[in-house]
Amino acid sequence: MQTIESSKNADIQITSEDNPINLPDFSTEAYKDAYSRINAIVIEGEQEAHDNYISIASLLPNESDELTKLAKMELKHKKGFTACGRNLGVEADMIFAKKFFSKLHGNFKVALENGNLTTCLLIQAILIEAFAISAYHVYIRVADPFAKKITQGVVKDEYLHLNYGQEWLKANLKTCKDELMQANKANLPLIKKMLDEVADDASALAMDREELMEEFMIAYQDTLLEIGLDNREIARMAMAAIV
Amino acid sequence: MFGLIGHSTSFEDAKRKASMLGFDHIADGDLDVWCSAPPQLVENVEVKSATGISIEGSYIDSCFVPEMLSRFKTARRKVLNAMELAQKKGINITALGGFTSIIFENFNLLQHKQIRNTSLEWERFTTGNTHTAWVICKQLESNAPKVGIDLKKATVAVVGATGDIGSAVCRWLTNKTGIRELLMVARQQDPLLSLQKELNAGRITSLDEALPLADIVVWVASMPKTIEIDTQKLQNPCLMIDGGYPKNLDEKFKGKEIYVLKGGIVEFFSDIGWNMMELAEMENPQREMFACFAEAMILEFEKCHTNFSWGRNNITLEKMEFIGAASEKHGFSAIGLDKQINPLPV
Repeated sequence: MQTIESSKNADIQITSEDNPINLPDFSTEAYKDAYSRINAIVIEGEQEAHDNYISIASLLPNESDELTKLAKMELKHKKGFTACGRNLGVEADMIFAKKFFSKLHGNFKVALENGNLTTCLLIQAILIEAFAISAYHVYIRVADPFAKKITQGVVKDEYLHLNYGQEWLKANLKTCKDELMQANKANLPLIKKMLDEVADDASALAMDREELMEEFMIAYQDTLLEIGLDNREIARMAMAAIV
Repeated sequence: MFGLIGHSTSFEDAKRKASMLGFDHIADGDLDVWCSAPPQLVENVEVKSATGISIEGSYIDSCFVPEMLSRFKTARRKVLNAMELAQKKGINITALGGFTSIIFENFNLLQHKQIRNTSLEWERFTTGNTHTAWVICKQLESNAPKVGIDLKKATVAVVGATGDIGSAVCRWLTNKTGIRELLMVARQQDPLLSLQKELNAGRITSLDEALPLADIVVWVASMPKTIEIDTQKLQNPCLMIDGGYPKNLDEKFKGKEIYVLKGGIVEFFSDIGWNMMELAEMENPQREMFACFAEAMILEFEKCHTNFSWGRNNITLEKMEFIGAASEKHGFSAIGLDKQINPLPV
């Protein structure tokens, strides 16, 4: 039996003052310091997305045009985010960002060398894409006006372009499901670790870890549903994020 | 298509439910994992009206649990994300069940229309409060005589009189039932005065003053946890209608000739074949459900795709009559005392 003091008509003791989202002070040293790493991750993420799509094209020569187009778009995004850092007078900590992606990047490289297309697509088209779009959604709500505009443009692009990897996995689900599950088990925990690693910096930018994780899970779940997995399969896959 | 957005009654209950449905990653997680969990469309169902019309619907669990009420941002996200999912699934009309509508209203979520790339269309959602209010009134009208209360001579107290459901109940009681006296209880005095002015009826009282006088008490607000009620001072008989959420009145009012009725619950005329109401701990889960959920079904049966119940104090008598007539037409009826142990043991 419940003990919560509330009901259909009772006022929950929260006032509207709690409601508007408070934007952080973009000019403080603490903000800029955290921004130097978060901004670098975003720039590096877009660069790696570019490189990964070009690499995937080597496994799918017939789809080279489509994938190259996609790769170019990611580079355009990288330029936009570089401008965001410059606008705040922040130098992106690229050494940190390269290290941040190194494990995932390493796994991608091994999969590529072994010709494991499904694993490559899981890493880039599902995990990195979901990681990026979820972070952008959270960031838009608390970004400075310049970065907000840039990020909104990027998100719009992401929704407009065809998620090539998603479409390929959907068309080939029958034959690639086992590898997809296996690759997920190996790589999804990395995403969780990466999120944990930047939680404090994200928090300095007014981005909650809890919200980032939720947005990621929503994007991840949406993609897997789109590919054709059912709720229980997705639940099993998501398990890897909490163990 | 109709939709229902619901949630578990507690964190423990939610974990049990998730485990049953095979959502192990959430079932095994702590509250933080639940705070980051996306909403889930857990069940699709087909429902056939007494008129023969068939409709399809979905049950969405927002993954909210009452333990999150103190986490304002989390609660807000849970509700908005569940609404976004309902809209993305193309559902025409979705009821906001349990705490969902309370959070929506009290946290003023109207200002959060844009959720990711979805612009929420409010006309796709209903609080279901009009049907809930109508059902509570019908429960009052049909059950009072059964326990020996003559409505014409009855004093009725409405606790939570200024809320959306409470004010609608007061409106109906004043205009449609011919009760002897209406006692109105609420925390804030200004809205009470406005309601009294609107109705040109009703006496404003405190809870302590109202309880010993009332033959019938309609609870549509929470009861303070610490409240001590001397059941000896209540009228005999006394009908209590528990219209709040969650339903916990029977804990407080045990006594001879005190009849506690679960308010705002309806029964459908045939089995629905779903699992979700079992998890909501309905006594007859294949047929019983919250009236707010039923409102979404009724609106879908009627092809009335609009936010029928929305905002506060917009429930008119005409709307209650419309939803009530449609409710009966399609095979819903309000549950009565004969469904419960009667009276409650001392």
